[in-house]
Amino acid sequence: MSEEALHAVIDDLGALLLFTMILIVAAGQIYRAIYAVSAQSLLIALAAAVLATATGNTDLWVIAGVTLAVKAVALPWVLHWIVQRMDIRREIEPVIPIAATLALSVVIVVASFQLTTSLGPVRQAIAGNALPVGISLTLTGVLVMATRKTALTQMVGLFASENGIFFTAMAVTQGMPLIIEIGVILDVILAALVMTILVLRVRSTVDADVADLDRLRG
Amino acid sequence: MAETLLWVLPLIPTVTALLMLTTRDRRVLSALDVSGSAILFALALVLAREVAVGGPRTLGVFRLDDVGLVFLLLLVVLTLAVSIYTVGWLEQALEVGNMKAEFLRSYFALVHAFVATMVVTVLADNLGILWIAMEGTTITSAVLIGYHGHHHGLEAAWKYIIVTTIGISFGLFGTVLIYAAAADVQGGAGAMSWSAIMKIAPTLHPGIVRIGFIFAMVGYGTKAGLAPMHLWLPDAHSQAPTPVSALLSGVLIKCALLGIIRFQTIAAAACGPAFPAQVLLIFGLISVVVATPFILAQRDIKRLLGYHSVEHVGIVALGLGFGGRVGTYGALLHVVNHGITKALAFFAAGTAIARYGSRDMRAIGGLLAVAPIGATLLMLAALSLAGVPPFSIFVSELMVLRAGIGQGHWIAIAIFLSMVVVIFAGLLHHVGVMAFGEPTATASREPEAWFPLAGMLLLAAIMILLGITLPGSFDGILQRATEVIVD
Amino acid sequence: MTGERPLALVLLEMTLLVLAGPLVTGAIQKMKARLQCRQGAGVLQPYRDLTKLFRKGTVQADTASGLFRSIPVLVVAATVAAGAFVPVVRAGPPAFPLGDALMLLGLLALARFLTAVGALDAGGAFGGMGASREMTIAPLVEPVLMMVVFSTAIAAGTTELGALAAHRGTSWLLAWSAADFLGFAAMLLLLPAETGRIPVDNPDTHLELTMLHEGMLLEHSGPGLGCMVLASHTRQIVIVAVASALFFPVGPAGAGVVGVLVGAGAFAGKILALAIYLALVESSYAKLRLFRVPQYLGVGFVCALTALALRIL
Repeated sequence: MSEEALHAVIDDLGALLLFTMILIVAAGQIYRAIYAVSAQSLLIALAAAVLATATGNTDLWVIAGVTLAVKAVALPWVLHWIVQRMDIRREIEPVIPIAATLALSVVIVVASFQLTTSLGPVRQAIAGNALPVGISLTLTGVLVMATRKTALTQMVGLFASENGIFFTAMAVTQGMPLIIEIGVILDVILAALVMTILVLRVRSTVDADVADLDRLRG
Repeated sequence: MAETLLWVLPLIPTVTALLMLTTRDRRVLSALDVSGSAILFALALVLAREVAVGGPRTLGVFRLDDVGLVFLLLLVVLTLAVSIYTVGWLEQALEVGNMKAEFLRSYFALVHAFVATMVVTVLADNLGILWIAMEGTTITSAVLIGYHGHHHGLEAAWKYIIVTTIGISFGLFGTVLIYAAAADVQGGAGAMSWSAIMKIAPTLHPGIVRIGFIFAMVGYGTKAGLAPMHLWLPDAHSQAPTPVSALLSGVLIKCALLGIIRFQTIAAAACGPAFPAQVLLIFGLISVVVATPFILAQRDIKRLLGYHSVEHVGIVALGLGFGGRVGTYGALLHVVNHGITKALAFFAAGTAIARYGSRDMRAIGGLLAVAPIGATLLMLAALSLAGVPPFSIFVSELMVLRAGIGQGHWIAIAIFLSMVVVIFAGLLHHVGVMAFGEPTATASREPEAWFPLAGMLLLAAIMILLGITLPGSFDGILQRATEVIVD
Repeated sequence: MTGERPLALVLLEMTLLVLAGPLVTGAIQKMKARLQCRQGAGVLQPYRDLTKLFRKGTVQADTASGLFRSIPVLVVAATVAAGAFVPVVRAGPPAFPLGDALMLLGLLALARFLTAVGALDAGGAFGGMGASREMTIAPLVEPVLMMVVFSTAIAAGTTELGALAAHRGTSWLLAWSAADFLGFAAMLLLLPAETGRIPVDNPDTHLELTMLHEGMLLEHSGPGLGCMVLASHTRQIVIVAVASALFFPVGPAGAGVVGVLVGAGAFAGKILALAIYLALVESSYAKLRLFRVPQYLGVGFVCALTALALRIL
């Protein structure tokens, strides 16, 4: 695959990633957000596969497989399981209106693209639009975490945020060392695990949702 | 020899943690705890000697230079002190019902896993490993913070894991960007290793390094408790079991500072020292200013100490920001001083809390009458934290100040000084209330337990020693570490 | 392969759109029926309805003014005129001065406005309610549509739809840029809103609390209602045709009759694809509460804005 074609494909995948991110931000129900983040991880796996064929970097195949198995299937499944098991409120509770979050996410996207246009030589080091898309995904994920009360939505934001970093990382022309990427995925899994345990413990010991925890102040 | 030790060091707490899972007996657990920490301490000293004599040692993704050594020494000293303190503390906690005997082994195992991840952050040369270990500290310590399992503890744990995970993902992004910049210059192999990046740092593209540094600064700054990303810190410090609070405040946030230093040196080499210095100054000033009102208005003693950590991390950031030999040296010294003093303060506060059954400083009164040694230690720690001479923190704060004057950052110094004075008054007032006066009705009049005191006395001795004189060998380490950062 | 479109061709395309409009509605209804495991009416049913309506007499509310009578004609005229701006069988700018996409959107907005005016004029309660709802949603839909058009227009350097379609050429998905994906996503979100379908409006119901567009037609009868219905069929196919002109390559149109036929076939294919999409959406989603609609459209807005930003930056 020629370099231009690769960049074009990465750009297109980047646009689709942004679209899934917008869906996550706009999701009014937890299920929608979970499906959207699953689709997003699928796209990340796809991007890894494309980059693997294009650059001949076999490590990326491993990453594609792991991303597909863990982030696109396993973690969304766990989230889904928690929703069903605990029968949590299905509605997402935003701290500020969803429309405002959407507006902020547009600002983030535009700002990230604006920020990176000034970096000419980066175009060589990171394929296509991967840098601005990665930055916007990360920041928007953080935005989702900051503006949602329910634990599961915050976890979705976390996954989206990690997806953004992954997208940029795999688009670095030389590819990241495999061991690091695996370690990062492992950390994400463990973090999700600990969060799940915490959510369940909050549920069982104080009979509340994480959203209701607001006693510590000052 | 020294190279092997690099591998062995993180293994010791790991193995200790695994061994702990095999037993339920409290005495065995405590013995394992203390001996594991003691072995770690001893091996770290051996390694320190090797490095001090023979220069930095590298093995794979691990590397120990003088900068790392400063943090490693702090880590092992505090781990040992925490282990000794825990023996006695546990007895009280079990009596009160704060800790449950059946979950003890998981508590001990998690503490040592936490220590293991921190050892890795200190030893990591590869920035990716540094990040992974940093996230590892979040995962292990989150469970510890919520260990008491009540409403507040779980809330603090949740806030901690969410805020620091958000923050640390910024750190990963920064790492990726720095890697991209380095890989662009020298190819993928080794482009994540800090020492390799430092060799080519002046040729890196400044634009991307600048963005990378900001991301890393926000990321590791969250973990270090710099305002305005400090939101998790007072909650976590106040809700965690006391030994864990001491580790969080004494070591964890210092490890995050080490991460910041690593990125600062790269950024300073790639885009000139002015840029990272400016960023550090801004975060440092915000931290000092933000912490002040919360310290003054605080009622909860552990939250007070938590906010106080925010202030001191700010001071370290200021020292690094003022830069130069004096500022950097002062910052590193302050890291050590604050780590030791803050751990001592947490220990003393923890015993006082156990005695009165409350964390509210209004409920703790007349400590001097019921527990003279503990009260004296608490006052010593508070005086030192407030920056009274001849204690060690006074020395390092003075160095930071001198560096600022040398660089002519007058506005920063004015803000810094006024805040320090206000905090000085506030802290002494709080401690005065607790130490003097008639003991409140809730005070238990049991004699003071020996084991917690031993841990505290160890730290107090180090604290006083560092205030009076710096041992030559330690001064040498600090000097060489300063050179690594400044040059 | 693309050239200028002469007047005769433009007129032919416009007629084709008007004639095919009811067929699209019929096809969507049929598909929906099959998806719901019903037999459903034939695809030609809308034509039968129209013929029936045109044969009937007119009843008019006493409160309605003289304007009410002319509303249906004006609406259908504006909508049909909008059809002239869409390339159907062949891409390329028209050979004579004609408006651009903005003109098209303006005409559609005019038709919408007139419909609402008519509904208010008749003085019925439902008409007023439908009009107010329609006018609440319209300002959310139209700017998004405009931004989608702009995001493609920036790449082509013109807002004339024929020229836009020509610029797209024969390129297909792989040649799409990032902005195209987002623009297309916004378009897909908008289509149900613009065509008055679920999840924004429900064309099948005359339940007073749910209807938007249908509410405004209640006071019309006979040929007048026929005109309004024809106008909404035409509006639907025009919007779908705009979407296909912006995002799908227009068929390889050679000269002469063969070229026109091939182009018409390609057009039919694209319209069918989008009609299937609409039918699927209608069958698989529930209608949103009115207060949720702005949020739904907000997603489209953000997509379109991002697409625009990607083009500019």
